[in-house]
Amino acid sequence: MADSTPLILGQKARSEFPIPGLALFVNFSRRKPLGGIAFVAVIVLVVTAIFAPVIARYDPNFIFKRDNPSYEVSPTLMQLAADSDIGSPVTVDSFETPSWTHWFGTDKVGHDIYARVIHGTRLSLIVGLGASAIAVSVGLLVGVASGFYRGAFDIISQRLIDALQAFPGLVLLLLLVQVAEPSVRNTVFAMGVIGVPTVTRIIRSSTLVVQSTDYVEAARSIGATNTRILWRHVVPNIFSVVLIAFSIGIGAYIIFEATISFLGVGPRGVVSWGKMVQEGRGSLDLHPWLTVFAGLAIAIVVISFNFLGDAIRDVLDPRLRGT
Amino acid sequence: MGTYILRRLILNILVLWLVATMVFLSIRVLPGNYASQQFAGANLGGVSSEAIAQAERALGLDKPMPEQYANFMGDLLTLDLGESFRTRNSTWSELRKALPYSAELGVFIILVGFSVAIPVGVISAVKQDQTPDYILRGIAISALAAPVFWTASIAVIFVLEWDLIQINVTGQPHVWSDPWGAIQWYMIPGFVGGFASTATVMRLLRSELLEVLRQDYIRTARAKGLTERTVIMRHAMRNAFLPVLTVMGLTLATLISSQIVLEQMFNIPGVGRMLFRSITLRDYPLFQGLVIVTTFVIVTTNLAVDVLYGFLDPRVRLS
Repeated sequence: MADSTPLILGQKARSEFPIPGLALFVNFSRRKPLGGIAFVAVIVLVVTAIFAPVIARYDPNFIFKRDNPSYEVSPTLMQLAADSDIGSPVTVDSFETPSWTHWFGTDKVGHDIYARVIHGTRLSLIVGLGASAIAVSVGLLVGVASGFYRGAFDIISQRLIDALQAFPGLVLLLLLVQVAEPSVRNTVFAMGVIGVPTVTRIIRSSTLVVQSTDYVEAARSIGATNTRILWRHVVPNIFSVVLIAFSIGIGAYIIFEATISFLGVGPRGVVSWGKMVQEGRGSLDLHPWLTVFAGLAIAIVVISFNFLGDAIRDVLDPRLRGT
Repeated sequence: MGTYILRRLILNILVLWLVATMVFLSIRVLPGNYASQQFAGANLGGVSSEAIAQAERALGLDKPMPEQYANFMGDLLTLDLGESFRTRNSTWSELRKALPYSAELGVFIILVGFSVAIPVGVISAVKQDQTPDYILRGIAISALAAPVFWTASIAVIFVLEWDLIQINVTGQPHVWSDPWGAIQWYMIPGFVGGFASTATVMRLLRSELLEVLRQDYIRTARAKGLTERTVIMRHAMRNAFLPVLTVMGLTLATLISSQIVLEQMFNIPGVGRMLFRSITLRDYPLFQGLVIVTTFVIVTTNLAVDVLYGFLDPRVRLS
């Protein structure tokens, strides 16, 4: 399956496919079928996140209640002992098993689990894509600067990167997310910082490779300025590495967010799958649905992004395998 | 060789100093300190600000930051990591209590992880791009995708459902004092953590083996009529295994501090859980000490692995 035809939009292919980019996608899927499937899955996830209110059927924070048939205005102690709900006019539909009304059942508070799983897609995608974008932007700046200009900046920034990387990742994240209030924006920012060292390293080393090529040497010998070499030769040639670094990290950020939400220090006021797994753990033996579906959602999203990232890497730069 | 090690040692000291500084600053950037965190849960406007100030004085938190930093660095030079605000024990003795638990769990995880990853990696490489390869790689990537806390929760359901093991949570047994009790206790986190760690190792071994299997000496070995088994085990594995060994060493070094989630879930009083608590409680000395020690372990393992590499593989030139 790993043939050596270059992934280029040919003239013939262009005329076959009316939609722009479709030829590229078909070519990509032929070489990496799993990557193609993962790409479609990611598109479905993005659509789910955007149209969550439509797809979710219910408001994720709506509490399902019903009238209590055995309601007594002033129950006796004996009645209360037999049925603790007897004093309230309505009861909450908690821990319903999956049915037509509640596809994935309901949680302890009476929320529809399906609605919450669908809405959770938003946070995961925002966090995954946002954190990766931050890590790659900062990593690109620092990596190119230290690989291209070398000198004191390189030495100092690389030691800082070393220190950041030696610091246990989750510990650093647990620190960062507590610095400011635990909002979505701050969480995304904190996770972006965690990713900077790896991205910087990858980009710095490919900058070094590009810089030692003959064409950069040639450009320099005909008197091209540093700025010109940087923008015309270095940056375009490491673009594939940037794309790889961006796509390969997304799954890990999504897991990181789920983990800190599970530990109770994630972003507040939003539906998070990690938090849902945690909420379901208290009654796991009797009502496993919440934990099962939220965890499955995390696994599916992360698998999709991982497969896509792997395929992009294999197609663009197989040498980076194992990074 | 000597100059290489010396240069790396100097760099490591620099990195450790940077980490120590980062640790010192980062924990103090968090809102609140140990004194205010202690009273935060207890009061409803009942604790006077004098009481908090007094507690801060007792802990030395009222001193200006530069002075605190100077003290911290001075103590660090004499390997004094201070004492925990909470227990008033020295950080070293806290670490001595927690480390065995983390190490036991770490070894359990590595044993499970590698006994799965190695055969799977070999099969996957030998049957490259055939059905077994696809299935095994699919499973490995799934293992990477499912969050540890979720797989652990699901494992707990099954264990509870079928009454598989008896877990003595309160006893916190060690392998040497109560082997069977300890094994049952570490069973779920060990298997879950091990399963999660297989993917990286398996994929690394697979790609290394694929590289080696293309070499001329493998063709020679096959040409002289050796069985495929001998070719793989004696010629390919020996050469592909070195990078895997590297990862093994590094995994163990990282595992000690990275099992925050599993230790928290299964009530294992190890280093990871201690770290997590020291952050939430703002126990500055304990947190600082734990991070510095774990970083030291990681950085030193890194160096040791690189040096060992030079001995084991003469082709590798250290420079």
